[in-house]
This record gives sequence, C-alpha cells and structure tokens, in this order.
Amino acid sequence: MSNSRYKIVFYALSLVTAFILFPASSYAADKSNKAGDVSRGSREWANNCNRCHNLRDPKEFRDDMWEPIVMHMRVTAGLTGQQARDILAFLQASNFTPVTTGTSRGATLGLTGEQIFKQTCIACHGADGKGAIPGIPDLKERLNSKSEGVLLGHIENGFQSPGSPMAMPPKGGNPNLTSGDLRNVLEYIEEEFK
Amino acid sequence: MNSSLFRPLVGSLCVLAVIFLFPVQNLAAAEDTAALKARIEALERELDEIKAIMKEQTQQSAIKEEEVEEKIEAVQRDVEATKSAQDEWKTYASKVHLAGYGAVGYTNDDPKNDRFSQVAFNPIFHYSFNDVILLESELELEIEDDGETELALEYMTIDWLVNDYITILAGKFLSPLGNFRANLHPAWVNKLPSAPSGFGHDQAAPVADVGLQLRGGVPIPMRLRYPAYANYKVFVSNGPELELNEAGDEIEAVESAGVVSNEDDNFLFGGRLGLLPIPSLEIGGSAAYGDLALEDEEDRNYTVWGFDGHWIWKNLDVRGEYIKQDVDSLPSSVAPDEQKWEAWYAQAAYKLFSTKFEFVTRYSDYNSSHADVEQEQWALGLNYLILPNAMVKFAYEFNNGFENEPTNDDRLFIQFAYGF
Repeated sequence: MSNSRYKIVFYALSLVTAFILFPASSYAADKSNKAGDVSRGSREWANNCNRCHNLRDPKEFRDDMWEPIVMHMRVTAGLTGQQARDILAFLQASNFTPVTTGTSRGATLGLTGEQIFKQTCIACHGADGKGAIPGIPDLKERLNSKSEGVLLGHIENGFQSPGSPMAMPPKGGNPNLTSGDLRNVLEYIEEEFK
Repeated sequence: MNSSLFRPLVGSLCVLAVIFLFPVQNLAAAEDTAALKARIEALERELDEIKAIMKEQTQQSAIKEEEVEEKIEAVQRDVEATKSAQDEWKTYASKVHLAGYGAVGYTNDDPKNDRFSQVAFNPIFHYSFNDVILLESELELEIEDDGETELALEYMTIDWLVNDYITILAGKFLSPLGNFRANLHPAWVNKLPSAPSGFGHDQAAPVADVGLQLRGGVPIPMRLRYPAYANYKVFVSNGPELELNEAGDEIEAVESAGVVSNEDDNFLFGGRLGLLPIPSLEIGGSAAYGDLALEDEEDRNYTVWGFDGHWIWKNLDVRGEYIKQDVDSLPSSVAPDEQKWEAWYAQAAYKLFSTKFEFVTRYSDYNSSHADVEQEQWALGLNYLILPNAMVKFAYEFNNGFENEPTNDDRLFIQFAYGF
C-alpha cells in the first residue's frame, strides 16, 4: 500500500475515532466524572503503578507535587481520568503525619468497623485479610503476634512492615477516622481474622 | 428627820438634777451628731471616690475589652492570611515538578576490562496547568568513553488532556510501539542494568519519534469479577531514517532517534492497544506502517509489529515482548536488499519480601539481516532494594554473539540506580 493510501486510511480512521470517541467520552465524562476516592485510589494505585515500577511511598511527595506526577503517570500508563483522580486522592490522603496521638475511645464517624475495613483497609489487606498486594502481611499472623495496643498504634500512626513494598499510611490513608473508628475497625479485624 | 421633810428635799434634788442634767445631755448628743455627720460625709466622699474609681475602671475595662477584641481579630486575620498563604501551594493552577533518575555503574567484560562504566543523569521536567495541560520533557546527560558529556532531548511533549479518556500530545515522544522503550528503560525501573538484546538504540525496537499522538485509557464494559481496562496509543510521525553501511550498498539500521525533518516526505502511522482483563495481567499489541526512502530514491515499505505481556502473581513479576522491523527490498536502490530486525525477551523477577532482595533472570534474542549485530543473551541478576526507587543491581550476562565482536563477550555489571 502506498504512503498516500496510508494517509487516507489514517485520516479516515482519525475522523471516525474523533466522531465516536469525543461525543462518547464527553457523555461518559459527564456521567462518571467523580471526585477522587481514597479507597478506590488505594486499589488503583496497587493495581496500576507496579505494572512498570516498584510502588513508591506516598510520603515521598507533598500534595501539590503528586498532582503533576499523577498527571504524567496518567498519560504514560494510559489511565482514565477517574483512575488518576482516585490514585491522587489516595496519595494525598496517605502522606500526612497524624497530629493527635492516643487510642482512647472517642467520637466516631458513625461507621461500623466492618464498613471502615471495607472502605479503607480492604484494598491492600484484601477481603480475607491475607493481603491483596505482594508483601502485605497476613492480618491473622499479626493479630497472633502483636498486642492490641501495638496494633492500634500501627493503625493510628502507620507502619512499615519489613519487606513490604510500601508503608501502611496513618489511619489507612483516611485522616477523617477518629480514635473510636480505629478501635472499631480493630475489633472487627480481631473478630473476623483472628 | 421625818419623811415629810425628806419628800420636799428629794423632790427639789430631782428638779435640780433635771435642770442641770438636761442641757448637759443635749450638749453630748449634739457632739455625737456632729461626729456622725462628719463620719457620713467622709464615707460619702469615700463612696464618691470609689464610684469614680469604679467608673474609671469600668471605662478602662471596656477599653481593654475592645483592645482585646481588636487584638483577637488581628490574630484571626493573621491566622487566615497565614493559612491562605500556606494553602497557596495547594490551590495554584500551574505546578512545576522535577523528577528523573540517575545511574552509575561498573562493568567487567570478558576478556577482562574492569571499569567504572556509567555516569548518567536524566532529569524529567513536569509543568502542568490544572488537569488540562502538561508539558513533560526528559533530558539525558551521559559521559561518553572519551570523557565528553552527551546531552540529548529524550522526549518533549505538550499534552492536552481533553477528557477522562483522551489525551492529545505533540512533540518528540518515546516510541509507543512495544513497552520496554516507552516505559521500562529508566534505570530505576529496569530490573537489570542493561536493555534486553535488540532493545537498545538503533536495534530492533524503535526508540523515539516526532509527531502527533492520541492516547488514553477506557474501561471495558464487561461483567467480570474485576473491572477491565484498555489503553491505546495512535500516532502519526515523521518516522525513522534509513542508515547505509560504510560501503553504501546495504541498509545497516533504521534510525529512530526522533527527527524534526522528513526528507522522504512520508509519514509513519501506528499505535498500540493494551488490554487488562484482570488488574494483574496486561497484553499489548503494536503495529506501524509507512514508507521510507533513501535520498533521491523511490519509497519502500516499512512495517513494525510486536506484542508484549506482563503478569504479576504474588511476589513474581513476569514480562515479555516481541518486536520486528521490516524494510522492503527495492531493486532500483543502491541498497536493494530487504532488511529485518527482530528481537524478543522474557523476564522473571521474584521479590523476597522478608528481605530487600530481588532475583531477576532474562533471556533475550536479537536477530537481524546483519549477522555481526545478532546476539543471544542470558542475564542473571540480584537486586538490593534500598528503597523502592533506589537499588543496587548485580548482574551477569552470558552473551552469544558474532565471534570477536563485543556482543560475544560475557559481562558483569554492578549498577546503582536512583529514581527521584
């Protein structure tokens, strides 16, 4: 096929693509353009970033620095805008250092431990608690080897498991969780996985 | 004396007593009243003074309250201003970020030639405006064998993120054909210190090009256990250039460094489609078609096609890729023969998560119409991950190439790579 034919085919395909993709994607964007979600973001981050490289620690960069980085990764890895927003939300929620300490029972967000686990923890720890990402430790093993106070401290302040590709972010990456919520989720984990 | 005498006497004495005592009493009462009055007057003065003091204090207190309120408001304004200033970095539209990577290395060839062989620095600049425009550019600075520093623009594109699924980018981009050259070649990403055979510069895998590209990701609307995605890249570019051998009678290589000239007036059209049916598996296919021509000669067909795959299972990371370039024959040309460059590799890496070690092995094979560049290679590596983005890589390559060519030499590599 001569080059001029390639050109014609390419331009025709481009036009067809543009006609199909632009309206369809604009419609889809209107329907599904949501703010980033921390829980979805942790899953997308775990699923997509290690397609090319080791998982980087969310604490490596400030919130505003993550924005162009995630934008670059969206273009490079072929992520959708929603995937990129979710990953950004997760990274920005996971790079903070909690100001408050202490693990006494306090106010809660009104969520059960199970709800919190399924929203915040499940992406990395998995529904069975055995770890959804390589290197994430089995919760059963941790529950049997660490005291409740130690575990609560890890949940509150974050923790780097030896050999894990990433550190668990403080409060699982959800800064809105209260000390009461953390206790609730630990109670759920103990009931479910011990 | 009888009682009749006493009675007048007592009566008289009483009258006298009354007459004398009454004025005396009145005098004493008057003195008390005066003293009392004076006392009251003194108390009234004191009371007035106290009232005055209290009034003054009340006034002062009111003034102080106003001052305190003013000070609180001033502090609140300061806090708001400080908070606003502190939040500026969160809200401004244009953001600048410097990323990149660097690598230093040591090589021992067989026959023996020990040397510190690599000093490379690749800064990557990101300039973004909200989530709409991104300019990204990578420079490559590397010390050559003669000590000169080579500077190259690896890529520079301006990307317009049209919506959630489409990005249009223009400029010099890493070749979208295949996966290694586009995404895996950075030193901190590549799990071995070297590229697979055939995936280096001017070998089987195209490196870069200049043109226009449409790319993005879309969800696949299928009812699967996990959400499935696809990513795509479609491009039109100036395409590569043909390079003749020294004798000038054979096409030696296809140079795909990315040029801003298009002397044969032909464009290259191509793309890659990647499918992720499950999050841990990606399968990709690439193809490109176009015409190339030597100076003052007719066009000849040029095709590229390839496929790649990547799978993660627990600590195991497996990937592979195949790529082939083909330049058709042209009997009227000074270099009439058809030329092919073909390469593939398969790589497995296993992380020992209780430690920071990672084992890697890779087999790669590069075939060409030119036997002197062909190479078959086994590489074994052990990486120590100081950080996820900083590692020391030890690797040994068993190379089988053309006799007496460097491609036939086995090599030991030690590389320290850092991505930032």
